Order: sequence, then C-alpha cells, then structure tokens
Amino acid sequence: MLNNKNIVIGIAGSGGEGIISAGEILVNAASSEGLFVFMLKSVGAQIRGGESSIRVRVSDLPVQSQGDRIDVLVVLSWKNFLRFKSELQLEEKVIIVSDTDDPMPDEEIPLTESQREFWYKIPFAKLAEDHAGTHQAKNIVMLGAISEIFSLPKEALSKSIKKKFKYKTAEIIESNIKAMTAGIEYVKTQVVKSDPLTFEYQHREPRLVMQGNEAIALGAIYAGLDYYAGYPITPSTEIMEWISRYLPQRDGIAMQMEDELASINAILGASFAGKKAMTATSGPGISLMNEGIGLASMAELPVVIINVQRGGPSTGLPTKTEQADLMQAIWGSHGDSPRVVIAPCDVEDCFDSTVLAFYIAEKYQCPVIILSDQFIGHRKESINPESMRGSKVGFRKIYHRDTPSAEDLKDYHRFKVTETGVSPMSYLGIKGGEYLGSGIEHDEKGSPRGDAANHAKMTEKRWRKFGYIKEEFRFERFYGPKDAKLGIIAWGSTKGAVKEAVLKANAMGISVGAIIPQIIYPFLIEPFKEFIENKDRIIIAEMSYAGQFRRYLRGFLRFSQYGVTVVPFTKAGGAPFMVEEILDKIIEEWKEMEARR
Amino acid sequence: MSEPLKTTDYKSNLKPIWCPGCGDFGVLSAIYKAFEELQLQPENTAVCSGIGCSSRLPGYINAYTFNGIHGRVLPFATGVKMSHPEATVIAVGGDGDGFSIGAGHIGHVARKNIDITYIVMDNNIYGLTKGQASPTTPLGVRTKTTYYGNMGMTFNPVRMLIAYKASFVARTFAGNPKHVQKMIVEAIQHPGFSFVEILSPCVTFRGKEQFKIIRDKVVYLNETHDIEDELKAFDIANNEEHFTLGVIYKKRRPTYYEIVMEKVTAKAKTHSNGTPEISKLLDQFQP
Repeated sequence: MLNNKNIVIGIAGSGGEGIISAGEILVNAASSEGLFVFMLKSVGAQIRGGESSIRVRVSDLPVQSQGDRIDVLVVLSWKNFLRFKSELQLEEKVIIVSDTDDPMPDEEIPLTESQREFWYKIPFAKLAEDHAGTHQAKNIVMLGAISEIFSLPKEALSKSIKKKFKYKTAEIIESNIKAMTAGIEYVKTQVVKSDPLTFEYQHREPRLVMQGNEAIALGAIYAGLDYYAGYPITPSTEIMEWISRYLPQRDGIAMQMEDELASINAILGASFAGKKAMTATSGPGISLMNEGIGLASMAELPVVIINVQRGGPSTGLPTKTEQADLMQAIWGSHGDSPRVVIAPCDVEDCFDSTVLAFYIAEKYQCPVIILSDQFIGHRKESINPESMRGSKVGFRKIYHRDTPSAEDLKDYHRFKVTETGVSPMSYLGIKGGEYLGSGIEHDEKGSPRGDAANHAKMTEKRWRKFGYIKEEFRFERFYGPKDAKLGIIAWGSTKGAVKEAVLKANAMGISVGAIIPQIIYPFLIEPFKEFIENKDRIIIAEMSYAGQFRRYLRGFLRFSQYGVTVVPFTKAGGAPFMVEEILDKIIEEWKEMEARR
Repeated sequence: MSEPLKTTDYKSNLKPIWCPGCGDFGVLSAIYKAFEELQLQPENTAVCSGIGCSSRLPGYINAYTFNGIHGRVLPFATGVKMSHPEATVIAVGGDGDGFSIGAGHIGHVARKNIDITYIVMDNNIYGLTKGQASPTTPLGVRTKTTYYGNMGMTFNPVRMLIAYKASFVARTFAGNPKHVQKMIVEAIQHPGFSFVEILSPCVTFRGKEQFKIIRDKVVYLNETHDIEDELKAFDIANNEEHFTLGVIYKKRRPTYYEIVMEKVTAKAKTHSNGTPEISKLLDQFQP
C-alpha cells in the first residue's frame, strides 16, 4: 500500500553493476537525514559477478521489518531481476524504473498489467557514459533519477556519494557527482511524473548505520573482549573481519585459526588464562564446536560463542536465514552440559545481547551462546546514536570473573561448591591459585574423580548457577495489550515481523499481544506464565520447520492447563517472515476465536 | 630473592595412573628436573594436554594445568600463550592425540611459530583405550583393532615437523631421562614453536622389550651437527634404521606474538592514534 512516509525500494541487477554500493549510498543518505532505514542484501553464491539485489526501506516512522512489498522497483538489468523475482515481492501498484536500453523486450518481462502502469525508462548507462565518461556510473545516475522522481533527500545523497568515494581521486568523485546530476536533470526535463508517490519526511539528527554482525563485534569490544579466535564462515564472517581490525587498537588479539575445533579450544585456553574470549561461527562450524562447548561447561570456563544461524542441515543455505539451531544450542553437547542461550532480535539488540552474554559468562563461569541469524547479521539498520552511547538504554553492565581471596588461596579449591555454584576462579599469574582444569569429572580441588557420588555433587553444582541466573534477570519484550485473548510467542529475528503485525492488528481493532524473550535458556518462566494465563489461543511463530521453539516451550509451559490452544506457525528458513504472513495468521485465528465465542 | 624451587615443588598431590614400567615416568621426572633447572614459577607456567595416557601428565605437575579434549591441546595452548605471553606454555600428549585426531593443528602452530613447547610421548599405540593401532604403530604389527597386522605406513613425526617449518625439532628417549631433561630445557628456552618427540615405550601393549629395542637403535647427534641445515635434518629424520637423538633442527624466526606486537598492534595503534574509546569506534558507523 502506498504511503508517502514509508518507501520500500528494490534494486536488482548483476553483481558488477554497483547495486550494493548504490544501496549503501542511499542508506547512508537517509540515515544522515535521521530517517529509519532497513536494508537487506541478497547475493547469489557467486563470489564475483552473478546477480544481486537489495531492498532498502526508508521511513519517516520507526520500522521493524524489511517491508513486505516493493513500492519502487529499480532494475539495472531485467535478466538478473528474474532470478530474484521470488524474493522481491512487488506491490500491485509498483513503480518501475528501468534502463531504456535494456535488451529484454517489454513483453517478456513478467509484470502484470497494473504493475506496468507506472514505468519510467531512463537511459542509465548512456547518461553515465555521456556525463561521467563511464557506463560504470550508471548506478549513480539511477540514484539521481529516483531521488528526483520520489523526492528523496538529494543533498544528503550527494554527500554520501562523496563519502563513499573519499579515498578515490578527485576526478572520480567529480564524475560520480556529474552522473547523479545527469540522472536528476534527465528526470526534470524528460520525465513526466505520473505516479502518486512523493516521499515526505522530517529532518532529524543523523542516525548510525550498522549491521547486526558489526553490532555484535562492537558489543564484544564494549564488554572488554581480550581475545578472539575464529574461522571464516558465512554469514558470520563480518564479526571476525571487524574484530580483527579494531580489537588490536584496544590491545586485544584476534587470530584466524585452522578450523572451528581450533577456534573454540583457543578461546577456552584464553579464558583459562584469565581473558575475556569469544568466537563466532555458523551452521557446520557450530556443529564442530559442540565438543568444546561441553568442555567449557565442565571446566567452568567463561566464553561467548556467536552462532549466526543459516539454513541447514549440513551446508544448507549459507546466505539465507533460519531459526533451527535452537535445540542444538541448548542441548548440543553430549552430557548434561549447562550453557546459557541468548537471542538478539534486531541490530541494536545484537549489541546489548553481546554485552549481556559476557556479563553472564564472566559472572556465572559458563559458556554463553548467542543465537543470531543471517537476517539480523547481514542487514543494515539505522540506529539512534544515543542508544549506543547512552548508559540508560539496554544492557550495559560489565563483569569480571570473581578471583580467589587470600583466604581462598590458603587451600585453593577451584571448583568449591558454593551457595550459588560459582567458585572463585584463579588464573595464570595468581600465585597459590594453581590448579588442574579438566574435561574429565573432577572434585572441588580439580582432581579427576570417577565415582557416582562426586559426579552427582559436581553436576548439581554446575547447574545450581542457573537458579541464580533466572533470579537475576527478568527481561522480555511485550507488544500489544496485555489483556488480549490472542497471543503470539516468537524469538530472535522473527520479532520484527511479529511486532509490526501486532501493531497493525491492534490498529485494525484486533486485540493481540506478543512476547519475545531475550534469554532463551535458562527459561525464565514467570513472564510467560503471566502472558499465557489470560490467553485463549497462542500462535508460536518460528523459522523452524520442525517447530523447535514450540517443542521447547512445551517442556516448560502446560498450555492445556491454562486452557490455551497452541497454533503452530512454522516455516523452513530461506526467507524471513513477512508482516502480512503473520498478520494474516492473526486475522485467521482472530476470526476463529470470534466464531467460537 | 626467595628460596630456589626444588623438583618436589613442581609435584602435585596426584599419583600417576600409568602402568609400572611406563616410559612416561621417566619423562615426568625429567620435566620436574627441567623446571627446577629453569626455575620456572608455577604461577607463570601452564602445562596443557588432550586425551591419552601421556595426556594425564599435567595433573601431576604443580602449575596451571589443563586436561582438555582429544586432539585439541595445541589450539588450547595457543589461546593460553596469546593471553599470557610471559608465561611458559607447554603442550603434552601422545602419538594418537597429536598425529591422529589432532594432526590438523600441528602444521598451523608450526607455521605461526607460536612460542610453546610441544612434547609428544610417542609409544606407537593407543594405551588409554588398551591397545589399538596409532599413526606410529609399525606396519604389520598386530593390535586389537589390526588383528591381521597394521595396514598403514607409520608417520615419521620428526620429518613431518621439519616439513612444517617448526623452528625447533628434537628427539629423545624416555630411557635416558637426563637427555630428555636437556631437550626439554632447550625446547623451553627456544623462542618460537619447539617440538620434542620422546620415544616413550608402552610396556603393556607394545611389550617390555621395547626399551631394549629402542636403546639398540639409538644414536646421539654430536656437536658437529649444523642445526640450521634443513636438508641435513631431513636426512636424519629419513634414517629409520636408527633413532637419531638430539636437537635435529633449530632456527630463530619471529614468533607469532612478536609479529602481533610489531606488525599488528603497532600498526593498529597508528591507525587509531592510540587506544580509541568506544564512542570513537562508533564514528565509523556515521552515515
């Protein structure tokens, strides 16, 4: 539906056409105007070339999702658009902007009659050739043209272009500005605007532009990361790329290892030596790390493991999203292996969740897994800078592990059974605190022990911490009215579509509420009990075909005891939920409830 | 200056679980003596291992010790060393832990020249699981999993380590603890990755005669050996008629940590003009 305060632009073409650069320039321009921005990239598996597409949502109002349908489709080559057709769902009244000289005949282009109503053809490549001296600047000509057609912030755009090319020669910057101007002038003189879309917005303070993966990296450094070891794997690699550049500036060390087995064990070594340590991985990499995560549980070593989930199993869909690593995160290693699982729900929350992960890892001396996913990891959002700088927003507490006192060191017991299960942790350099850490079952002193009674005692000690974690934290997100009879439970990146759908449904007069946890495991049951208490029907939405989250929740919540009907809403990953998918489900269930009343 | 440390100061309260006559006893006592000779401070010494008979060794030492998972001692020790560069970090293990399940790590620790000492007690068998073939079990030898004789060629660890550009490669024999001690001392003193293969017989699963068999094949390198000559080192490793003992190859190369400090951290600090605050790091996200 057209809305002048919110515009979803899709750009498709081949990899070498500067689609992603164009998208980034647009995102930066909008963010510098203080707009709310959401950008998703979609690239083929090809390393260079091939097809690519992006979707940029620019809004004067806060946005929660990528926007379901494309309002403006910009096509640099129709041939490549066809490959993304299923990912770029078009509005029925979509506005098309394409290259006049595209070789594909109009009749072969798969558009409906009404989608052809507003179709601007602009000779991007020719204008670029004529004004900038190279057809390569056609992406910039395109930006100029669409900024003129839809009243996007032109000055900000030209600033962003200059910034994008700031390391290039003055001639290159000059020719790109000429390309943009050529696009603007062409529209002014040759195009008659027939569509109704004119973007309206208020100028505000500039916002920051960040990817989920970058927010995790930044959060880790904020939390005091000392040592990072990792192995590149899509879609987590940006975390390591960012950290390898910025961690050394803050005296930390980032190492690329030979595999994920090495990565997890290297960070365990660093933690054993007293440092805050982290690794990031995805898909096959997290499967390889599970043995090491179990060792972290057993040796009570604080470490943070980031899993940017991708489609699975096996190699699966490396560049696509899914939420199907939940059970593995919680129960992945052999044995009863306590670990904490935290799920960020958007880019800003990636920062908070990482700071929280380090806090819990250090305070409770256990591994903490962050379950992000490709959808959050690879998207760009504009963020209020104050929410990153300020201390009031989100979780910003820093913790350093408890070290033994002089009294403790007189007869040091590394794994002393304490009230909370947390024992003071000594490390290299502390005289008198020498001990044997191990993956083999051990007694309080650290000596290997194989008897059942000791195993029972030490297992209980390691799990005892969880009671205190559950007591310390109570953070969850509620949307919609609390007295709603219809509810939605979701986790992680599905929050965006759920929140937006709930707010839309509420505006339509449908009473529906949602709850999204941040700490997934241990399960903080109280807010969920309160949430389901007055519900008749609950939709559990997740990108896991097998419904892992639903099965997980059923382990804690006796829905039937509360008289609640559970409605599974699952899908295999690949494409994230659209708002309208969730909204349609809400409406369907709402009608069902009304009919039964 | 406090009292000098004695060998007993490096002993933990745990008693070794090894079989009587195991070569690892000789290695352990040589380690105590090497530590005493070097006057290592227990609080600044880490001894790490994976899984296997010899991987139980860290528990018998009074220091920061760790007995982790099978095959992963080298990356674990890497993390320890990078986090505490002033510490002496020693990785220990057997032929199964090092050359089978953990073989993928050796080349990388060697090429990165991580400043740790890797001691492999090579007994040509899996002892902890009670007698199955290992990567160094000789061809044709019957073990519990190679009933009709071992089918694979054996690894030649010394040759492998020279090929991997390890900056210090030595071989010694548990039957000569004095020599073991000497090799360990030199290995710890070497800045960079140092590898010591210790022929450490398993009397239980390879037979009591192993000590004699090895002793008869042992020859010692003399002072004329050029330790920086890589080709000569290969010749020595290739001689499988004899076990040539001593420091076979050694070359001073920049360690990983030295490179990190000089080439990475220094450059990074120049880029950022000192240690940037978080708010400064946020600047790059300005549109």
